[in-house]
Amino acid sequence: MASKFEFGHNMLQHFALSSEYTNLNHGSFGSVPKPVLEASEKISAQIESNPDAFFRLEYQPLLNAARASVAKLIHAGVDECVLVSNVALGINTVLRNLQWGENDTLITTNVTFDSIARAARHITSTPPYPKSSEFNLSFPSSRSVILTRFREHLRSVKESSPQSPTRKIVAVIDSVLSTPAVLMPWREMVEVCREEGVLSVIDAAHSIGQETDINLMKVSPDFWVSSCCKWLYSKRGCAVLYVPKRNQHLITTSLPTAINYMSPSPDDVFSDFETRFFWCGSNDMTAPLSLTSAVKFRELLGGEERINAYCRQLALDGGKRLAHVLGTHVLESDEHEGEFNTNMVNVELPLSGAIKSTADTARMFQQKLLVEHKVYAAHFYHNGKWYVRASAQIYNEIGDFEKLGVALLEVCKQVGTAHNC
Amino acid sequence: MTGTKAKLQVAGALDVAELYKKEPPSFGHAMHEVFGFDPAYVNLNHGSYGSLPLPVKAVCDDLAAQIEANPDKFIRVLNLAHQTEQRECVAKLIGAEADECVIINNASHGIGTVLRNFEWHEGDIIIGTTTTYGAVSQAIKYLSDIPPHPTVSTFTLLFPTTHTTILEHWRDHIRSITNSANGDILQKRKIVAVIDSIASNPGVRLPWKEMVAICKDAGVWTVVDAAHSIGQELDINLSEAKPDFWVSNCHKWLLAKRGCAVLYVPKRNQHIIKSPIPTPVTYNSPQDDDYEGPQDFVKMFEWTGTIDYVPQLSASAALDFRQWIGGEYKINEYCHNLAVAGGRRLAELLGTSVLDPEGDLTLNMVNVELPIPGEIEYTDEINILLQHTLLLEWNAYAAHFRHNGKWWTRCSAQIWNEVSDFEVLANAFKDASAKVVEHVKKQSVNQA
Repeated sequence: MASKFEFGHNMLQHFALSSEYTNLNHGSFGSVPKPVLEASEKISAQIESNPDAFFRLEYQPLLNAARASVAKLIHAGVDECVLVSNVALGINTVLRNLQWGENDTLITTNVTFDSIARAARHITSTPPYPKSSEFNLSFPSSRSVILTRFREHLRSVKESSPQSPTRKIVAVIDSVLSTPAVLMPWREMVEVCREEGVLSVIDAAHSIGQETDINLMKVSPDFWVSSCCKWLYSKRGCAVLYVPKRNQHLITTSLPTAINYMSPSPDDVFSDFETRFFWCGSNDMTAPLSLTSAVKFRELLGGEERINAYCRQLALDGGKRLAHVLGTHVLESDEHEGEFNTNMVNVELPLSGAIKSTADTARMFQQKLLVEHKVYAAHFYHNGKWYVRASAQIYNEIGDFEKLGVALLEVCKQVGTAHNC
Repeated sequence: MTGTKAKLQVAGALDVAELYKKEPPSFGHAMHEVFGFDPAYVNLNHGSYGSLPLPVKAVCDDLAAQIEANPDKFIRVLNLAHQTEQRECVAKLIGAEADECVIINNASHGIGTVLRNFEWHEGDIIIGTTTTYGAVSQAIKYLSDIPPHPTVSTFTLLFPTTHTTILEHWRDHIRSITNSANGDILQKRKIVAVIDSIASNPGVRLPWKEMVAICKDAGVWTVVDAAHSIGQELDINLSEAKPDFWVSNCHKWLLAKRGCAVLYVPKRNQHIIKSPIPTPVTYNSPQDDDYEGPQDFVKMFEWTGTIDYVPQLSASAALDFRQWIGGEYKINEYCHNLAVAGGRRLAELLGTSVLDPEGDLTLNMVNVELPIPGEIEYTDEINILLQHTLLLEWNAYAAHFRHNGKWWTRCSAQIWNEVSDFEVLANAFKDASAKVVEHVKKQSVNQA
């Protein structure tokens, strides 16, 4: 591998991050590599040169090529993948297309991503008021415990909900939980859902570009949405919504509804899934189109395996080092070491669990860590403890985790003092 | 120049601060210098996708660089102040309060957000028109397709016509709905009218303020699709016009970056918008244990999912540009006069006529009849033939459509256009129209 692409701080030359800033939070908003920015700039210039020619004549094949490049990565049919602005819109599209009844139940967890949990809450707060059910996840735990408890939960929901023939139960499952960052046994949970007659909606925000063995044709979740701008290096504003053919009749409209929407009718030729999502209003189309250059760049770097081997190992090593500096420990599975591992690592903070997670503490962390110390990783409260979630990327090295640790020691002391803890 | 300054001195990039010290190019072809168009392309279709001035692009590029330098810092800490600045400058232009305005990505999304937030009941009525924008009429159709199936009532708008006639018919239409056979329908159900301020095909100004007033008197909700208004319509003055909801694309006539629109919801109606789509983390539900009341409207729209924030922060840069080149009044005076003169010239050369010869319905878009026999019906093939001929063979474009038994082109007169552009377009459409006639002849021969 050419040394120009040697992983570590050497890679910073290919990203647009400030040299003053140590980014250990790639998992939140991603970071766009310079080749992707440059390719997008070229497309922008093409658009502005003649917007009508671009959008009416050139755009569709380019969009289809972008969709094909992502469909290949997740082993799905291109005609099962459409691009939407972000994961929240993708999940909202699925949940808001399903026609809810008062006998239905929408299952989320206590660690469902916050805006997704709110979307679910909005749906259950709106007529006809489907029921909500929360599956509780607390870490440390283990995959086998999660699976056992998940099946129990589904069964209890089935038993307690009205036995109507049109009743449906829908479960929103994270493939990779956000905070804490945990690789969930989502494939097995999809199988459990299938066995129990529950629709599975997978919030796979963190999966693409981080999980290397995604085979949607094999796993066949009912719906699956992943961000392309987190781990896959696309521009912000791009996510993939996967709907297997068997479920496409359930997703009749994009959000917002597009000109290609057709009312379901036995007479009409039903507008197909891809067409419904082709154009949903004017936007900056360089975002979905950036997928092509993002995937190309990753191939140039050695591909998904090489990239993720580095990141996985650095997350492990970095987590250990960070825990050492903080005098705490890494959050791990109870049963099998490594079964939850991703490119992100959760390390306990030296901060009293009595301190509540509020907008104010968040602001304190942001001000001190992000603005003053110029090093950042997500901070969160879970199961009575405070943690930091550090993302390992190809531009990070173990020294970054040390730097984060030193900064966190000071910041936690200050936050503690501010709360008299 | 407005508020929070982006650092404009980026090496090798356009120095906007320096540029604005100089005299702006005059209206007409000289303006090409500040746009990224292919110099040979005759763009008479600004109304469809908008156009990004180079100085506005430069400000956007700088914002983008700031975000990439430290995404967390920009998004979590700095973005809010930028958003506030955008809402303030846009609100000022449309005569609204800043906290009645939020920036979203496009008008379709804004209209969709409003319509989906209404709680629909059987018997509710949604009013659209025959010239409602395609995506919006499909959004209305979708809502009537799903339970509880509100009814759709379609108001017919056929041009040419006058504002007086439109209002007369509108009044009748509203009256006939509110005085329906079911007695006093408004006691039990609601009626929501989606009104264009400026229709798309044809591109004509509608008497929307008066239409809103008629609805208000009748107890009908008004959702104004003003996609084309901001930057084209002067004196919008929403606090006076008082529509219930109003949405406009800043990336059309205001010259902001694509992916920027404003959703206006007056305070009295903010309780209707329970959740943006997607739902944000800030949403408050009555089912929450700690529920203390609905979330503040503006706060809900601060973050609704990860996007590229740059387009939604570009309206202020667009306003700065427009100020530099002469301001709202001068810009629209030029564009309007050109629309009238250009339309006349185009009609003359095509041997046809202008849809709105009096000019009462004309702002910056003009509709001219095409030399295609009216009995030829619209097909996708004809549409593609027109597009290919104009774009690929003539490198000139304006929208084309069939309306009220005739074929038309809708030309957008912009600050970089001159009458000679309409002359180029005339030749292009003469050729394209002949090709359509030829194509249809061949088809009927083949089918004989």
